[in-house]
Amino acid sequence: MAPALAVSGVGREAVTIQSLTANGCALLLFVSEECPTSALAMRKLGPLCQDWEKSGVSCTAVFEDPLEVAIRTARRSGWTGRVVSQPPPYQTSRAYGLVSVPTAFLIDRQGLINDRVIGWDHAAIALLIQRAAKMAATTLPIPTATEPLHKPGCSSKAALDPEIAAAMTARSDDDEIEEMFERGWTDGLPVVPPTEERVEKMLGKYLPQTSLGPVPPAMGEATLERLAACAVLAGCRPAYFPVVVAAATAALDSRFNVHGQAVTTQPAGQLIVVNGPIRHELGLNSGMGVLGPGNRANLTIGRALRLMIELTGGAMPGALDRSTLGHMGKIGFCIAEDEEVSPWPPLHVERGFAPGQSVVTLIGSDAPLSISDHRSRTPEDLAYILAWAAASTWSTNWWPLAEPSVFIICPEHAEMFRAHHWTKQRLREYMFEAVHKLARDLSRGETTPFVHRSDPDAEVRKWRSPEQIILLVAGGEAGRYSAVLGPCTGMGSQIVSAEVAAR
Amino acid sequence: MTGYVSPFDDRVRPEVPLAPRLGQLSGLRITLLDIRKNRGAEFLDRIETHLRSDGAVTTRETKEIFSKPAALELIDHITSISDAVVEALAD
Repeated sequence: MAPALAVSGVGREAVTIQSLTANGCALLLFVSEECPTSALAMRKLGPLCQDWEKSGVSCTAVFEDPLEVAIRTARRSGWTGRVVSQPPPYQTSRAYGLVSVPTAFLIDRQGLINDRVIGWDHAAIALLIQRAAKMAATTLPIPTATEPLHKPGCSSKAALDPEIAAAMTARSDDDEIEEMFERGWTDGLPVVPPTEERVEKMLGKYLPQTSLGPVPPAMGEATLERLAACAVLAGCRPAYFPVVVAAATAALDSRFNVHGQAVTTQPAGQLIVVNGPIRHELGLNSGMGVLGPGNRANLTIGRALRLMIELTGGAMPGALDRSTLGHMGKIGFCIAEDEEVSPWPPLHVERGFAPGQSVVTLIGSDAPLSISDHRSRTPEDLAYILAWAAASTWSTNWWPLAEPSVFIICPEHAEMFRAHHWTKQRLREYMFEAVHKLARDLSRGETTPFVHRSDPDAEVRKWRSPEQIILLVAGGEAGRYSAVLGPCTGMGSQIVSAEVAAR
Repeated sequence: MTGYVSPFDDRVRPEVPLAPRLGQLSGLRITLLDIRKNRGAEFLDRIETHLRSDGAVTTRETKEIFSKPAALELIDHITSISDAVVEALAD
């Protein structure tokens, strides 16, 4: 009889020989994390497990490691079967007379050991699978016969001197997250280590050596492989990578002048606005808390771009990035527009793209300033309140701004304009006209050469033209809080859009 | 354990040696480059006065905008007309 199992798994129910053979027979694969032959066996057999399970052959990896290590190792090797763990002194391994890992056991419905394969032996494993297929009265997939066909296993921890076994399972001082900090591959937060496997998955069909060009200020070359490493570090899923590539392409367009933004004493960060169907495909947030935490796609796409600028481009704060204060958006600043709630054409359509195209738009900008308005009852009053909130952005008396101001209009505010049939252009023009002061009232402290040149009784506006007012709709369905982003000035930085390529 | 992919551009770049130092200023062509940062020109005015009093022949050039690298054409032009350059860099 197969010995009883003294193991723990992820579920509440005990894993027993009876439960594993309830639908037919059971494959037990004894493995350990640090054994390359175990990894090989799991890699070869792991993808087949699900098909075997459907035919009544249960598939279980029995680790000589703690459960969390077992689960991580199984996931990395593509194991799709059950994962269980046994603690020292590896009572189950001892009961099965284990000498080395991997060792595979085939156990029939009666609980008898029918077959056993030690190490990796492709022909013997194929035979074991055929036996299982016969028991289940079906055919089962067999791993393809690729090299190595034979590989000796590693010593089972049950066969080791207990002191050596204990030393092997002791927690290592090597912490890969800490190593990332030591390498300087971080923006100050923990990162996902960019292993070759993760970077390869991130790249997908993209060619690793394709270059997007040099990244200012240090002019490191943005190969797609390096950009993928940044996306891995940031915590992106591979599905996000086309958006990261589009954002990096737009950021490195000379019209955007990321060079100036990266090194300036200003707080400027890079806002990424995502439009089009990709928002839904990736689950980007355009709703509640859109400027804050809570959504992986928003946070990691924005962070990936920043890591490219900081690591590949060398613009680390305190080094080549000389920003006096910085702002939290410099960690990552990516939002989606709520095109479905907006009463107006979305940003990318205004910029010449078709509604069905997925597009990122890069805007150099300062931190958001929240604008509360719960009491305006006319679109005129609301437009006035929104517009005047921008009056002190950049600097109190710095009129007119040469650069655009981005307003993020919340759905309840947008609804006011929809109900009164205000077009985007009408709102822009009203806001532009609403904010004016006499030059004499703008002359104190820092002000513009324009104000100095003006007649003291001349009216000066906050913007040079209505077109500098960028309007986006995003935010939670309840609440009357819009926001305006301070501008990035003096850079000659233009807004740049790039289409997101299909993955 | 496999390796990592570095986000850094780890290529080793050849060190650019410093240009030969000038022994004296008399008769040399010095370009003063104004990057268009606020009040940078005032600073260069003072430097220019000192250089001229030491016998240098000065020329003024300006960048398109302070926040972008100088155009290669401008760099080539300055190189072709100058023995040395003084750049008023930032504030």
